[in-house]
Amino acid sequence: MIKLASIVKSYRIGKEQVDVLRGIDLQIKKGEFTAIMGPSGSGKSTLMNIIGCLDRPTSGEYFLNGERVSEYDEVALARVRNRSLGFVFQQFQLLPRLNAWKNVELPLIYAGVPRKEREERAMEALHRVGLSDRANHLPNELSGGQKQRVAIARAIVNQPKIILADEPTGALDSKTSAQIMELFAMLNQDGTTVVLVTHEQEIADYAERTVFVRDGKLIGEEEEANREVSES
Amino acid sequence: MNVIENIKMALSSLRAHKMRSILTMLGIIIGVGSVIAVVAIGQGGEAMLKSQIVGEGNTIELFYMPSEEELQANPNAWLVNPFTSEDIQALEKIPEVSSVVALSSEFANARYREDVIDASITGINQAYLDVNGLDVEQGRSFLPADLLAGQRVAVVSHSFQEELFDGKSPLGQIIYIFSQPVEVVGVLEEPTGIFSFGANEVYLPWKTWRTIFGKSEYSQVMLQAENADDLQVAGEKAADLLNRMHDTDEAYQVMNMEEIAAGIGQITTIMTIIIGSIAGVSLLVGGIGVMNIMLVSVTERTREIGIRMSVGATRGQILFQFLVESVTLTLIGGLIGMLLGGGAASLVSYFAGWPPLISLPVIIGGVLFSMIIGVVFGILPANKASRLDPIESLRYE
Ligand SMILES: Nc1ncnc2c1ncn2[C@@H]1O[C@H](COP(=O)(O)OP(=O)(O)O)[C@@H](O)[C@H]1O
Ligand SMILES: [Mg+2]
Repeated sequence: MIKLASIVKSYRIGKEQVDVLRGIDLQIKKGEFTAIMGPSGSGKSTLMNIIGCLDRPTSGEYFLNGERVSEYDEVALARVRNRSLGFVFQQFQLLPRLNAWKNVELPLIYAGVPRKEREERAMEALHRVGLSDRANHLPNELSGGQKQRVAIARAIVNQPKIILADEPTGALDSKTSAQIMELFAMLNQDGTTVVLVTHEQEIADYAERTVFVRDGKLIGEEEEANREVSES
Repeated sequence: MNVIENIKMALSSLRAHKMRSILTMLGIIIGVGSVIAVVAIGQGGEAMLKSQIVGEGNTIELFYMPSEEELQANPNAWLVNPFTSEDIQALEKIPEVSSVVALSSEFANARYREDVIDASITGINQAYLDVNGLDVEQGRSFLPADLLAGQRVAVVSHSFQEELFDGKSPLGQIIYIFSQPVEVVGVLEEPTGIFSFGANEVYLPWKTWRTIFGKSEYSQVMLQAENADDLQVAGEKAADLLNRMHDTDEAYQVMNMEEIAAGIGQITTIMTIIIGSIAGVSLLVGGIGVMNIMLVSVTERTREIGIRMSVGATRGQILFQFLVESVTLTLIGGLIGMLLGGGAASLVSYFAGWPPLISLPVIIGGVLFSMIIGVVFGILPANKASRLDPIESLRYE
């Protein structure tokens, strides 16, 4: 489903070249729950942004569902972000002036879904993350965990096959983090491919597969067949 | 992503910064308002000037103006009353001409008992009565029979009555012109309007005038055409005919209404352009204000732009969103400006007494113009927004 081949990302700062990603090869299968772990500054976010089509690699190939998206133009990439991917960020990234369901409907506006259907589907997504009763609240009237649920509802509202989450629990306490992680586990059980970036082992434990990044390179991975999922 | 969605979004973001939006609009309101006012007042003034030049009842006047050479060749060529009765009859036969208004006017003494005053004595024909009419406030106007028979009757002006009769009723009284008696049968209304003033005038049937003054030529001739568009053609044909009949080159002439109207149009257009460009400068300043605020808005909303891009907005859609916002801003400002400018123009027209000319083209032009201002001054900020890098935008604090 996701196939990265020799992905290199480098920045030029003045005369100096900074290689942030130095040849990443990674495959993620449909329905997998993958965690990307690594120390701060190792290039995890850079990798996620490339997978999320927010950024382009300096070199290397990126295939999504067999399509060579590393060659897509800007409009096609926007369409991929809109239809095929759902992004969840550490800082929630909600529009402060829009209430919960209006934040959630945003991807549907750009997908050209008619108004009536947008509202229905936004409410449905909020229901899935357990926030139906907060639909009309503004982001600053919600707790951190609730904000992240809204962001997850927004990520799933257009029914993408892949959810990308860059340190989604980074701004949350451990109890709330656990609730959010269970939400991801649930989405994964419903068939969504989940890719998660974290530097915490407890968070990575929710995933069935963990890949380790250091200094812009994959340095190994770990498969956990019998991962614990609390059913509560 | 349709336009309505974008307009809603634009309105809500303008509402979120009410004070700023209103202040920004103010520049556009003043700019568009003054442009609309200037154009409307200019057009109204032009219409008024033109209506004053083209004579009452859509008539065109014939002139007798022999050239220097003609005068030198024949010193007798200068005629005070250059139109003969045969001329009038010939003019009436021109197909485009519906009536030939002819009159003669001379100053003479008018006496009532012991009092004598100077007055302009005018003899008029039936066509004058048909086209111009005499608006009498007392007594009656001339009857066709008066004109046909050359009755010794007169209609006098209001100020003539005041001066010679001390305001008492002159009806039925006999006045003497060149010692010839005529009976006053009517008094004209007092003229109104800024451009008119009272004069001592006596109107007589043409034949009566001819008998009193012993002259059988007319001093002034005006043509009326069946169709107003034929007026110029009729005038030129008439001038040609008279020149042929009198064996003159170009002594008989007609004023070219179209040229005069065009001249007036040119003058008012130049005035409108001059004042309009001053107003345009204020519009330019307003537009720059819009650009400035939109640039601020783009910077403030960098993160919003990043979020929108991350959920699938294309650069084109971001560009369009900010363009719609600036156009909405200038359109609302423009509509308010048109309302105020139109109001000011109507007020001026009302007091100046000319037709208020807020025409449909002006309204459509104003709307389009406001939108164009929005696009012109919004394109730079919108372009800036659309070129933002999504990742950096998401990190923007
Ligand atoms: N736009 C950029 N220009 C230069 N260096 C960058 C840029 N973005 C990221 N980096 C560098 O790339 C490295 C990896 O960053 P990042 O992917 O955010 O790491 P992580 O998410 O693993 O903490 C960091 O050293 C960072 O300074
Ligand atoms: Mg990071």
